[in-house]
Amino acid sequence: MKFDHVTKIYKETKAVDDVSFDICKGELFVLLGSSGSGKTTTLRLINRLIDPDEGTIYLNGNDTKDMNPVELRRRMGYVIQQIGLFPHMTVKENIGIIPKLERWKEEDISKRTNELLNLVALPPDYFRSRYPHQLSGGQQQRVGLARALAMDPPLLLMDEPFGALDPLLRMQLQNEFLSIKRKLEKTIVFVTHDIEEAFTLADRIGVMHNGKILQIGTPSELLFNPVNEIVSKIIGSENKFKAIKFLQAKDVMIPMDKKYLLQENMTCQEAVNIMISNKIELSIVKESNGDIKQVILSDLLKNEDMRRSINDFGRKLVIVPPDENLSSIITLLKSSNEKLAIVMNQNEIQGLVMIDSVLINLV
Amino acid sequence: MLDTIISVWATQQLTLRTIQHLSMFFIALSISIIIAIIAALLVYSNPRVGNIWFNILNVIETIPELALFIFLLPILGLGEPPTIAACVLYSILPIMRNTYTGLANVSNEYIEIAKAIGLTKNEILFKIRLPMALPLISGGIRVAVVYTMGIITLGGLIAAGGLGVPLQAGIHQYNIPAIIIASLWVGTLGVVFDAVAWIIENKLARRYNPW
Repeated sequence: MKFDHVTKIYKETKAVDDVSFDICKGELFVLLGSSGSGKTTTLRLINRLIDPDEGTIYLNGNDTKDMNPVELRRRMGYVIQQIGLFPHMTVKENIGIIPKLERWKEEDISKRTNELLNLVALPPDYFRSRYPHQLSGGQQQRVGLARALAMDPPLLLMDEPFGALDPLLRMQLQNEFLSIKRKLEKTIVFVTHDIEEAFTLADRIGVMHNGKILQIGTPSELLFNPVNEIVSKIIGSENKFKAIKFLQAKDVMIPMDKKYLLQENMTCQEAVNIMISNKIELSIVKESNGDIKQVILSDLLKNEDMRRSINDFGRKLVIVPPDENLSSIITLLKSSNEKLAIVMNQNEIQGLVMIDSVLINLV
Repeated sequence: MLDTIISVWATQQLTLRTIQHLSMFFIALSISIIIAIIAALLVYSNPRVGNIWFNILNVIETIPELALFIFLLPILGLGEPPTIAACVLYSILPIMRNTYTGLANVSNEYIEIAKAIGLTKNEILFKIRLPMALPLISGGIRVAVVYTMGIITLGGLIAAGGLGVPLQAGIHQYNIPAIIIASLWVGTLGVVFDAVAWIIENKLARRYNPW
């Protein structure tokens, strides 16, 4: 999806001001901003609840203006904070409303409803025939998500879907949502004002302020390279850096798992097999001379002769002691352009510091 | 006491009168409901004609029942047709007004999400607005039930049959037992139908607008 210089004007103020960005297939793109920043307006432009005054929105290369809005909306799931389950319909009728209008067979609707209720962790036998007012807020929001997924849309639009829930429930639903997202591989545009939520969920974040997108980037890019003061204020970078100063490597590392270790002098073919079956992209090799190197799966795959020893592909690695503080680890990683550091204590590998996951946990 | 009731019931043919009364009642109410809901849907879809409609109906509502009968007599003659017509003319407004209000006042939250997930304007009207307006519509029908009962009783004046006849006869003949029994009976029917309508209204409210 692509926004090309899109502007929306409400009574002479520009709610969305010359916004351009691309969203890649399968990514979770978060629009982050305070209320009035234009993030919800941007979302509503996508499914043509409103039309832009200037600019064009493309979906798979086609201008959305040329599409029938009703058909367009049926190909996008939509979830909002107020949930908006229809009170006169049962859970099943709510989820099945669009399939029914699309004249699906009754048994197909039932089957789909059951699938979706299972997906959102609501036992179908217990919930199918209930009315929305008989459900808790969290259950309602799960049904809301199930309804959005009913037509198996490739694109999902979410407007602060967890905003009205209490913090504990919100966290739980965010985690569930992440695991559902991994199963479904959908493109998701997610609007929120909650920075923690944005950092937990996002692949990339677009920071909005006064109708403009100030910066687009991954969570760590925003945290460490905010383009200006407004972005760093919205992200709250200053506060985060305080934590970075007192945390040490041993506080943030992931304990070493044997699956990351490879024998030296293994052939590329063997290493590739092991890494693929362990679902890892990267391994550590301890050489007999005491050097520690990392081996990256894509390096091995690019190489043509699979009989070569993996020692030839070892890359240098950032090694830090357990009491190194986080800010110097980050500086070290940044200067060597790496994302991973090994924590070593007297020749013993203790753990890994993956900077991206550390940052997510920090926020 | 019981003897008096039985003899009045027999001489005034109250069984027959009750059947006439109720058949006019159901015919008039059904016509009113159908016309009023269709009119409300039309007016809702074309709000510009809405004001004219409601003004006309408001004017009709202010005409006393007897005067309305007199207007209708040259057109529809005597008997059941003008009575039913009067019932309908009076009942359309409360049902239509409530239907219209019910359609228009469905919370925007539901309309917005319905639109966003891809319902067309007509689907929103019939699948969302109309069902959610049902409690209010039934409230309007309840008002119409009371109007219709009263007007049909007045229909006795213009030879429409029904329970107005024994009342008229009782007044002319100064037959106090007939007046009392017939009026108590009409009253009871009115209260019973109102109660039934009230129960339905409550059920619908709980089903369609539980919040």
